[in-house]
Amino acid sequence: MNTIVKMLITLTIVGVISGGLLSQISNWAEPKIEMNRKLETERAIFLVQPEAKSYLKIEEADFELYQVFKDENKSESIGYALPFEGNGFQGKIRLMVGVNVDLQQLVGLEVLEQVETPGLGTKVTEKPFTNQFIGLTANPIVNWTKAEANKDKSEIQTITGATISSKAIVVIINDGLSKLRSTVENGEAK
Amino acid sequence: MSKNVSAVKDFTKGLWEQNAVFKQVLGMCPTLAVTVSAINGIAMALATTFVLVFSSMIISLIRKLIPTQVRIASYILIIATFVTIVDLVMKALFPELSKALGPYIPLIVVNCLILGRQEAFSSKNGVFRSVLDALGMGAGFLLALFMLGGVREILGSRTLLGFQVLPNLYEPWLVMILPAGAFLTLGLLMAYFNNREINKKTKQREAILQKHLSSKQSPAVEGGEA
Amino acid sequence: MELFLIFLSAAIVNNFVLAYFLGICPFIGVSSKLSSAVSMGMATTFVMTITSIVTWLIYHMILIPFNLEFLQYVSFILVIASLVQFVEMFIKKVSQPLYRALGIFLPLITTNCAILGLALFIILREYTFIEGIFYGLGAGAGFTLAISIMAGIREELDLADVPKPFQGAAITLIVAGILALAFMGFSGMISV
Repeated sequence: MNTIVKMLITLTIVGVISGGLLSQISNWAEPKIEMNRKLETERAIFLVQPEAKSYLKIEEADFELYQVFKDENKSESIGYALPFEGNGFQGKIRLMVGVNVDLQQLVGLEVLEQVETPGLGTKVTEKPFTNQFIGLTANPIVNWTKAEANKDKSEIQTITGATISSKAIVVIINDGLSKLRSTVENGEAK
Repeated sequence: MSKNVSAVKDFTKGLWEQNAVFKQVLGMCPTLAVTVSAINGIAMALATTFVLVFSSMIISLIRKLIPTQVRIASYILIIATFVTIVDLVMKALFPELSKALGPYIPLIVVNCLILGRQEAFSSKNGVFRSVLDALGMGAGFLLALFMLGGVREILGSRTLLGFQVLPNLYEPWLVMILPAGAFLTLGLLMAYFNNREINKKTKQREAILQKHLSSKQSPAVEGGEA
Repeated sequence: MELFLIFLSAAIVNNFVLAYFLGICPFIGVSSKLSSAVSMGMATTFVMTITSIVTWLIYHMILIPFNLEFLQYVSFILVIASLVQFVEMFIKKVSQPLYRALGIFLPLITTNCAILGLALFIILREYTFIEGIFYGLGAGAGFTLAISIMAGIREELDLADVPKPFQGAAITLIVAGILALAFMGFSGMISV
């Protein structure tokens, strides 16, 4: 009996001290972590919308969506930045896609997170691939080809040895676009 | 004097003689998982050392107050507390690094190296020696992770700590960055060190044998030695 | 269908041992005999499935409502440790033969990173309750598969003339490396 009481007391004391200490540290760290997360999103938004000067989170949309503006006081909208994720070759791929205001043209693409095969699939994060999307008209969707891409047909060229990863990116973009279009058309975001 | 010697010993034994990775095969998950590059290895080892040193300190301080039945549970609680601290601090101050190490930071909790040291050393020794022991083990862990990360980074992406060390002519071995590369590199490194050890032992044995033979050739020395 | 894919993905494509390096200690330590490897795998699968249930409930029913997410690691590891203890007592009461088969492995499971890793991954990937259970089952099956294959190979290796420096952990790691390469062939088969 005595030992059980002693055991319980010891564990409780250790637990309480640990909990107290952690709540202090978490209070200190939480705002900083939040800040880091915000900075990261901000950086990605301005990367895919290089002409934007300010942005606004659209709260009405049922997914994460940002509207970007040409000037600081958010009067003239020049498009949207849309973080969207889907399945890649080995795991989730998370993208930030920049779309212009009429929802037809892509302005930029940035791969935020991926776990593709190093050296092959990871090429989709590099400029030669992502630059293909800049200025591409998605009419009505983005298509892919293994041959030379024809921009008039909304095509991009997949990477040799990373066809699945390349296609995955296209699929994610198209999913994101259709969601964005239906949301904007329903007037949930203007 | 002998006290000083044993204190030094507490520290140095972890460096090589009882190296956690190469000799005791402990703490394998983080060792293999994060060593895609040298910098990741260093960060992981430093985080682990931090947790190891502080939990050793606390545990050796309160070792007499903890009933033996809940020993392990209390140790794990203390270790998990320090791991959470490291995790929060890293997320707040070094978000990039914390992202690269991902879920392997919380997994320090179950690194057998840490619990092993508490059970084998801190629960039986004073604060000073426990901290020294933890520092030594941590340094040995750092050495191992840096070596593994370095080899994999050089061969897998031509760089070391981000600086290019191999010419572009060299085609990087992708396998080194893949999981398979971790297993293979560690296996080969281990075999290499085993080989050196074996050679050293053979040489020592030969030297002793030589000495023995030469002493036999001059029987005038003392008898009954062997 | 989705659930089956999660199961397969955890068991084969993203095998815990060969792709995430979780559970390496028992993988190297307890893989010298096939029979004990299978028992270890079973015990781990059992604990993994229960862990995925309990930690999911704790996280979503206690930690989130009370804003205590920072206690995640502390509470998970405590739950796992007590769970293992409890399972051990339960098996001892219910089935002596099972206890004799699994008994010595159970205490080892507490410090098996695969268990805590599983609990963390379930939270990280925002699985639902049911998905979490299947993920746990899959991870356990994957662990059993990897450790059994390894043990099978090592039993054969005993008869082979392994060079002296490679004997012990070194050759085990190299075999594991080759296994990991082989398992890479599954990647891309399913993407979950």
